[in-house]
Amino acid sequence: MSIQNLIMNLQKFWAAQGCYLAQSYDLEVGAGTMTPDTFFRVLDKRPWKVAYVQPSRRPTDGRFGLNPHRVQKHFQYQVIMKPSPSNIQDLYLKSLTSLGISLHDHDLRFDEDNWESPTIGAWGVGWQVLLDGLEITQFTYFQQAGGIDTFPVPVEITYGLERLEMFLEGKDNLYDLNWSDDVTYRDLRFVEESEFSEYNFNQADVKLLKKSFDMNIREGQKMIDKDLLLPAYDICLKCSHLFNLLDSRGAISVTERVKMISQIRILVNQIAEQYTSREETA
Amino acid sequence: MEFILEINTEEMPSSHIKSGLSQLEDKLKEALRSSSISFSRINSYGTCRRLVVVGNFAPEQKDRVEDIIGPPKIAAFDEDGIPKAAAVGFANKHGLSVEKLVVLKTERGEYVGARKITKGVPTEDILKESLPKIIASLSFPKMMRWGENPLRFSRPIQNVLCIFGENPISFRVGEVASSDFTTGHKIFSPKKIRPKNFSEYRKALAEHHVVVEQDKRKHMILKQIEKKLLSLGAQIYPDEELLDKLSFDVESPHVILGQFPEEYLKLPLEVLSTAMKEGQNLFSVVKGKKQLPYFIGVADVPKDSKTLIQTGNQRVLKARLEDAKFFWAQDLKIKLLKRAEELDRVIYQEKLGSYEDKTQRLKKIVVYLAHKLEAKGEKKSVAEAAELCKADLLTEMVREFPTLQGQVGGLYAREEGYLANVWKAIYEHYQPLSMDDAVPSSFNGAILSIGDKLDSIVGAIGIGMEVSGSKDPFGLRRNAQGICKIILEKKIDLAFSRLVDKVIAVYGEVFEKDKEDIKKRCLEFFRGRLQHIFESQGFRYDLVNAAISPGIDNIYYTYLRLKALDSLKESAHFEPMILIAKRVNNILRNQPQIYKINSELFFEKEERELYTTFTIIRDNTINMIAEGDFTKAQRMLFRIRSSINTFFDHVMVMADDKRLKRNRLALLQAISKLLNEIADYSQIVVSDQS
Repeated sequence: MSIQNLIMNLQKFWAAQGCYLAQSYDLEVGAGTMTPDTFFRVLDKRPWKVAYVQPSRRPTDGRFGLNPHRVQKHFQYQVIMKPSPSNIQDLYLKSLTSLGISLHDHDLRFDEDNWESPTIGAWGVGWQVLLDGLEITQFTYFQQAGGIDTFPVPVEITYGLERLEMFLEGKDNLYDLNWSDDVTYRDLRFVEESEFSEYNFNQADVKLLKKSFDMNIREGQKMIDKDLLLPAYDICLKCSHLFNLLDSRGAISVTERVKMISQIRILVNQIAEQYTSREETA
Repeated sequence: MEFILEINTEEMPSSHIKSGLSQLEDKLKEALRSSSISFSRINSYGTCRRLVVVGNFAPEQKDRVEDIIGPPKIAAFDEDGIPKAAAVGFANKHGLSVEKLVVLKTERGEYVGARKITKGVPTEDILKESLPKIIASLSFPKMMRWGENPLRFSRPIQNVLCIFGENPISFRVGEVASSDFTTGHKIFSPKKIRPKNFSEYRKALAEHHVVVEQDKRKHMILKQIEKKLLSLGAQIYPDEELLDKLSFDVESPHVILGQFPEEYLKLPLEVLSTAMKEGQNLFSVVKGKKQLPYFIGVADVPKDSKTLIQTGNQRVLKARLEDAKFFWAQDLKIKLLKRAEELDRVIYQEKLGSYEDKTQRLKKIVVYLAHKLEAKGEKKSVAEAAELCKADLLTEMVREFPTLQGQVGGLYAREEGYLANVWKAIYEHYQPLSMDDAVPSSFNGAILSIGDKLDSIVGAIGIGMEVSGSKDPFGLRRNAQGICKIILEKKIDLAFSRLVDKVIAVYGEVFEKDKEDIKKRCLEFFRGRLQHIFESQGFRYDLVNAAISPGIDNIYYTYLRLKALDSLKESAHFEPMILIAKRVNNILRNQPQIYKINSELFFEKEERELYTTFTIIRDNTINMIAEGDFTKAQRMLFRIRSSINTFFDHVMVMADDKRLKRNRLALLQAISKLLNEIADYSQIVVSDQS
């Protein structure tokens, strides 16, 4: 049992459901939702099925490698299906069975949890999936992205790979997980966690981050004005990560928070609007 | 004939289920009534995956009888009863033979008429028409769309079972076609079941691990909990909200008893129970007042024979408690006072400054309150509580469990050795969080809570924030209602508008707007909230307006005024008093100028008498009003009525002599003013008002 096995099983399962297997996006993102393979594709009217692993960074969750289940970077397995198939919950249950989980021996619950990301003007309705009390998946029907109603409605399934693997291996410490037969999560990630925690919480240069944030916001607007939407969106992702870093440095007040989030959202909403109007004129 | 409707969905939140069922029942009844279909016994049942309505309906609509009035009887038949041309013509026009005509008695005399009987349509046809509309019209706190379905609902609809008189009824809801089947438990028995009637439906579902009656599930949960805790001699810490949620969340309730290591019992109860409840939906287990190292969970399974569910939940809980323990230990390393100094880094609101600024304002406000409420002895302690109350925003514990803000601060203050009048005030200062939540139990908690909330409201209004419709980003409505609730429950006798003045003054130069205007808006805002609270308590809206209209300078007194009106509304004196008060107001309506009474100018007997009665009543009521005994004051006022009546009957108010006229107006103005101190009678609706 290992994380890479888990990934391979999920890949196999969702590929069989017709998903295109994307590669992880090469920018820092807070969640798989934020990558272009989700963000842009949920906006247009065309059917879309994709699955991918996405490393996700949440600087404030860093614990210097000392907490057994909290890290500043974790791995999500992201599935998008548009329009949401009527048997999507069944497919999801089957995916768990395909991992060797016997659902008859456990308590699996879809517990109300509506998801929202103010930064990218997105929200959805759904559940956190609890397996014997452990949150293993976020299951969401996307209702809006970039401030635009999504229709056909996509469904998003986000597995927390570490959580799921902890369940499968019956371990209490994620650093003890096997990535492969002879490489552990600790081998791969411990140093990274401790160094990045130090950087995120104590070292990142606040002035530099703030300046980069402002410059990127301006650059983003410029690219939007030139109708270069993909680069503009990348810039928004950079802003979002800069914001998260500033947050973990404790350098953002409540109001600044609102203001910065809205600065990014304004750009993202413009991108979404321009992107969808392309489809209408095409 | 028996009717069953089951809307099968993906998992709905419990609040949606309850509201969905009651809407479904109401709308169905309404549709049946408006189609003249008689029915009896409509019941509804629900789980997170089903909304079910069962009833007994007539097989068809009642026949519709319609009388069409024709010519007068005299014009239609002669004396011998032979039909005349008018009758024949009328009968032909309606396709009837003359013998079928009936005689109808109307107010204008006897007429000949045609009675048309339209046969009732089968109920099935009506249901086919109305059910899709009813289902599509259900509304939920948060609606969603799915797939390519045009419909909005709580969660995606999977299937609709509809049976009437043992036969399926077919219709479509969005993209879903109704069917004759349902399915058992999603994981343990997802088989199709084809019931003919409700007793079969219920029985078959039970066999397939679904208990469809919510009350029965709740009962099962409680029974199982009792059994599990019997040997421990313990109980769950009661949590109706959680119990209610869980009894809808599961179709096959199975109670789990789990344990956690005793070392975590060192954590405060609040932290333990929050860690259990949030995220994992677990109950705390207590023996008397003592927390035990156990928890109760409710799983949606027939059994946990391998105890995997129990051990899984234990593992997850342990990790959460380990986190909480770590936060507790870390947080205690830094004293609250030290943390409070850091609050200048945390912005409360851009224009209103940091939490440090808020803290400083709060100190002044609570000291003022302690002074006004004659609790000088608490000035120091409440100022200290104000100083510390926001410090917990900087703790790890609040970061992890935001719902524990305030409580965590209070607990840390207690650990640091502060006395109850300080730590409890901090602990309680966010209370009440809703109209159902308890108000602070301590005096200092109450004034800290009032001060904190009013500071937020005045600040937001002062910088021009608008609360309208669904827009209320700072929760100002909730805050204002919280203040009202505290004042009403704690019977706080306070000059409220002065308190608003004080808070505005404390803000000093922060506001650019006119201060009088800010005050006016604040009071207006509170007036609206108070109105909302009173009306939702079931008071008549016109009495509410009458009690509020004289002003909300003293919120508690406004409430007493309303109680007085409410208790006297059935009195025989009540309506006549209102009518006379309205008459007084009507005469004064176009008299903007206020006159002074000159007692020597009364020369009619009746006006002198009224003046005397008035002065006696006024002198008597002054104290009653000051003490808030509005019922007594009101009763006293009733006595003025006959004198006013006699006055109106015999005295000409608008006399030619200006001096007399002004003096009479002055008397009425004084009376009106007195009446207004008790209630604004012009707001009250009187049934026989012309």
